[in-house]
Amino acid sequence: MEPTKINFRILRFKPGRIDPPRHQEFELAVGPQTTVLDSLEQLKLEQDNTLMYRHSCHHSSCGTCACMINGVPRPACVTGVLDLGTATVTLEPLVGFRTIGDLVVDMRDFYGDLSEEWSGLRAAEARGGKGSPQSHQGPVRFENCIECGCCVAACPAVGGSDGFMGPAALAAIHNEMLKSPAKKTALLALADGERGQRLCRRALNCSRVCPTAVSPARHIADLRRMVSAAEGDGQ
Amino acid sequence: MLEHIVIVGGGGTGGALAHDLTLRGFRVTLFEKGELLSGTTGRHHGLLHSGARYAVNDPTAAVECIEENRVLRKIAPEALEQNDGLFVALDDEDMAFRPLFLEGCRDCGILAQEMTPAAALALEPALHPDLKSAVRVPDATMDAWRLPMHFFATARSNGADIRPFTEVVGFQTLNGGITAVETVDYRTGSRRSYRCDMVVNAAGPWAGQLAALAGLSLPLQPGPGVMVAVEGRVTNMVINRLHPAGEGDIIIPQRRLSLLGTTLWLASDPDVLSPPADQRRRIIDLCGRMVPAVRDAPVRSVWWAVRPLMADGDAKDAQAISRDFGCIDHSERDHLEGLISVIGGKATTLRAMAETAADLICKKTGRSFPCRTRESKLLSYRLFYK
Repeated sequence: MEPTKINFRILRFKPGRIDPPRHQEFELAVGPQTTVLDSLEQLKLEQDNTLMYRHSCHHSSCGTCACMINGVPRPACVTGVLDLGTATVTLEPLVGFRTIGDLVVDMRDFYGDLSEEWSGLRAAEARGGKGSPQSHQGPVRFENCIECGCCVAACPAVGGSDGFMGPAALAAIHNEMLKSPAKKTALLALADGERGQRLCRRALNCSRVCPTAVSPARHIADLRRMVSAAEGDGQ
Repeated sequence: MLEHIVIVGGGGTGGALAHDLTLRGFRVTLFEKGELLSGTTGRHHGLLHSGARYAVNDPTAAVECIEENRVLRKIAPEALEQNDGLFVALDDEDMAFRPLFLEGCRDCGILAQEMTPAAALALEPALHPDLKSAVRVPDATMDAWRLPMHFFATARSNGADIRPFTEVVGFQTLNGGITAVETVDYRTGSRRSYRCDMVVNAAGPWAGQLAALAGLSLPLQPGPGVMVAVEGRVTNMVINRLHPAGEGDIIIPQRRLSLLGTTLWLASDPDVLSPPADQRRRIIDLCGRMVPAVRDAPVRSVWWAVRPLMADGDAKDAQAISRDFGCIDHSERDHLEGLISVIGGKATTLRAMAETAADLICKKTGRSFPCRTRESKLLSYRLFYK
């Protein structure tokens, strides 16, 4: 198959130099398997070595390469250029994040609401052993969030003066409850705090853009039910 | 103030070395030309080796792997899925290799537990039903981004200055020794030199390019390999083919994906823009012999990583190159003071590589600080962003 020429329109930003940000256009021939990240790699190597973007695993496991691709937050590494169906592909940093340079965003605000105390990966999560009712369901694991920031960039409620902690943090709180039931009361109080679930507007954008099917909106709905139930118990 | 050590390369080795050197008390600045872990380490398939893969043909690497496997389980358990691994025999050739494999594991101190096909299938029902035998080993899955980010988070917390998007573009020398590195910061465009007492070249497959800035060459061979991620966790344990190291012989569950690896070819340039054709189909076919379900699983991603193999230029058989690592003191080899290159190795042994390099730095600076990274629990990767 002949390579297809695509016009990449990339929002450039270098503090004090390309400031305010402005779009710059690059032309690149891509094939049917070329991803947006492959394209960025080739542009950096062959056309502009000052181009800044984040990347690491190249298979949607690390969460670093998310950016706005034609206006939608997605991981660049698993987004096929030709699958987008546009002759011009616009790349911009994640909406609502502070930009460090070009497509690189500062993740400090995002991680501000994700406690380092919450548990990480663990062994053999819910693997059905012999005789287990789950033995035919295949292995699952609790933690699928790759902390890419797509849900936060898509959320209409994040970024206001009320400081909504956003869908990733709420999903993480709920996951931590499932992993560590002993912490439930404290975690529920956090989820129900002034910056918590009450500020969610139920737009469901978070679940739509999540690249790993974490479904943050479902976690938020579960938290909301738990908050209601706890209030009911208290009366 | 102790010596200022500059590390070039923000991969697993650089991160682990920044951690080791700050624990010993050195002043550390690390430069990475792109994002941290964007070269080789982050693209790694995430196998925390038990060492079993190398037990027959590369026992030095195998012993290093099992030692580091045990250390990493202690210092960074939150970055690992400790689900063990199986080596599965599918044909007579595999069965002929089996006694050698068991003996190699025993000699290297790797716990290898023989299993009947029925027992293996009870653990992992997706295995090929006609498997002839299986051996359980202490493999695990690491998060190839979070694990090394634990090292960066801890190093930064202990005072290391970590500078991504900053490339080292030259060295300043005086009387046959390096006195400073020249850098470009791609965020601001500014050029700046940093005075230092010693530079460690930890640029992985790009280490040759860095050495060339000082007019030196390294016994380094870029060895790219392709990996395929398919949707769904087809198994929960790491699945390896029970035969000598080859292509398409491993399946690593990671999140809701199964990672199939890998291939190996030798390249002259560490910047690979596209892999040879047909590798994707070959990997899926070979891994499908161990777990047929991977053949029908939708493909999530096809990507490649470039190994920094320690070899002189005329290596022919790529699989035969040792996965051992080495520290080169360029004052001995090239009469250039102040530069050390760390080459070879693999993700599982990142801490050990750092220990060896830091020991050499202590020796050269006349400091007698012991290594403390075997026992020091690492901080969460999340703290890097706080």
